[in-house]
Amino acid sequence: MAHRRKSIGIQRIAAYATIAVALVVTLFPVYWIAANSFKYDIDIFSIPPQWIPANPTSKHYHAAFVERPFLIYALNSLIIAVSTTLVSVVFGSLAGYALARFQYPGRWRYQISFWILSTRMMPPIVTIIPLYIAFNHLGMLNTKPAVIIAYTAFNLPFATWMMKSYFQDLPVELEEAAMVDGDTRWGAFLHVALPLARPGLAATAIFCLIISWNEFLLALILTLTERSQTLPIGIAGRVTQYNTYWGEISAAGFTACIPIMIFAFVVQKHLVRGISFGAVKG
Amino acid sequence: MTVSIGAKFGNSFERWFERHLRVLMLAPAMLVLLTLTIFPSIYMIIAAATRISPNPDLPWQFAGADNFLRLLTDEQFHVGLWNTMVFTVFAVGTEFLLGLGLALLLDRYIRRLNFLKTILMLPMMLPPVAVAITWKLIYEPQFGVLNEIMFRLGLPLQAWAGDVRLAMFSVIVADVWQWTPFMFLLMLAGLASLPDEPYEAAAIDGASAWRQFWDLTLPFLKPVIAIALLLRIMDALRLFDLVFILTGGGPADRTKTLSLYIYQVAYRFADPSYAAAISLFVLFTTVAFSTWFIKRMRLAD
Repeated sequence: MAHRRKSIGIQRIAAYATIAVALVVTLFPVYWIAANSFKYDIDIFSIPPQWIPANPTSKHYHAAFVERPFLIYALNSLIIAVSTTLVSVVFGSLAGYALARFQYPGRWRYQISFWILSTRMMPPIVTIIPLYIAFNHLGMLNTKPAVIIAYTAFNLPFATWMMKSYFQDLPVELEEAAMVDGDTRWGAFLHVALPLARPGLAATAIFCLIISWNEFLLALILTLTERSQTLPIGIAGRVTQYNTYWGEISAAGFTACIPIMIFAFVVQKHLVRGISFGAVKG
Repeated sequence: MTVSIGAKFGNSFERWFERHLRVLMLAPAMLVLLTLTIFPSIYMIIAAATRISPNPDLPWQFAGADNFLRLLTDEQFHVGLWNTMVFTVFAVGTEFLLGLGLALLLDRYIRRLNFLKTILMLPMMLPPVAVAITWKLIYEPQFGVLNEIMFRLGLPLQAWAGDVRLAMFSVIVADVWQWTPFMFLLMLAGLASLPDEPYEAAAIDGASAWRQFWDLTLPFLKPVIAIALLLRIMDALRLFDLVFILTGGGPADRTKTLSLYIYQVAYRFADPSYAAAISLFVLFTTVAFSTWFIKRMRLAD
């Protein structure tokens, strides 16, 4: 028995050690980009590397956000992410509710749900060429609405499925009670189901925001100038064949991470539910 | 009378609205998705079967299967296909093993620590572009951190992402850093939903922890594992951002993925017809693989 307890103690220590290593490995790269964004160029290039910035400076933030148009890129990113999220959450809730609550002939419910999800299987590189040509014809290339439309198509399948799963979890009885009291189906949706699904709306919105904020390939092809270019595109533009502006891209890259990190801690419960929603419930 | 006519009109609209509510609620999402998937698909099929002239005034020429036949002899395409497969197998495989291991540890020894979970899942939420430049900084051969660690350990310094032999490995490591949290989180959610009774019975029967893992935990987790793998494989097959920034597909095309190759064909070589053919190939293989995988894992049940 004594031997057994000892081995469990060792196991526990090994487990804690592994988790500690995982934490360090997870956090170091984030720390490293932050640290480098506050170093003078000469300190970024120092050998051996300077683990903690000796002379912290906000020079690169000034260069990126004042001298170069990174503030505009960030604003574009924000406008595009928020608009995409609004449209996706509204359309997604409507469709999600319809799929969760209404009767369908035969296997139509399954067919429609699966078709919506399958549009998400399309690799973006497949749809991007026709979208580029279509937006070009419409004179919408290099505009924010073009990016918002493309992102909405990208986010809608996910938003619909997530809202469908939340509505399915709500007890039908509350809506039925409202309808017995004289409310219409639409009224029951608006006044009963939607307020109850608030956590689901929040989780869906968070996901749409993160996905749109991070997206790269579609924006790379649909945007050309700072009129519509987003933060990731601006960052990539400073990694050129001849020179990489390490300080500037570290500052911009770390800035792009900040809203996400704040988000992660404010809404951690929604995130866990959101990421694992389909996998556990099947 | 006039009042009741107005009420009647409002009523009939309301009734019409209620009667068609199902369709009306589905319509916005369906219309957006139909326009933005059906139109591109038709375009891609037409484009792939034609030879689009660089001069926009000239008509398209019918090319039949020419663009698809090119796939058979195009070595760059074969390289891209091979790289994509190598990347997918090793990156997703490593992410799965690490994610499952971490989830088992955390589930067993540290419960109810949301804060820790949130830190561990951070990488998957960060912008891939920011992740790519962070790793570029770490891999930098002259002043990068990784070579400093190699130096301290007395190991030979490497060019990492710039080295023909190590470039793919470097890309995989960066991807594993970003996406292991996804596997970890799904496995953790799966573990949290396991029933207790079979384990109690197994403990009474004196089953070892190892036996319990193989005979109970893995079979119970199978649906979660299958979905996690499917989602990650589909993502890995379209890898673009990371290689675009970290290596640009080099050195010597060692990290050129199919997505990157399609991008180059369409925009650098200005050959949308051939890009469409490769895209359709990618689309069909992805769909065929997912369908096979879903059937195989009996996910539809």
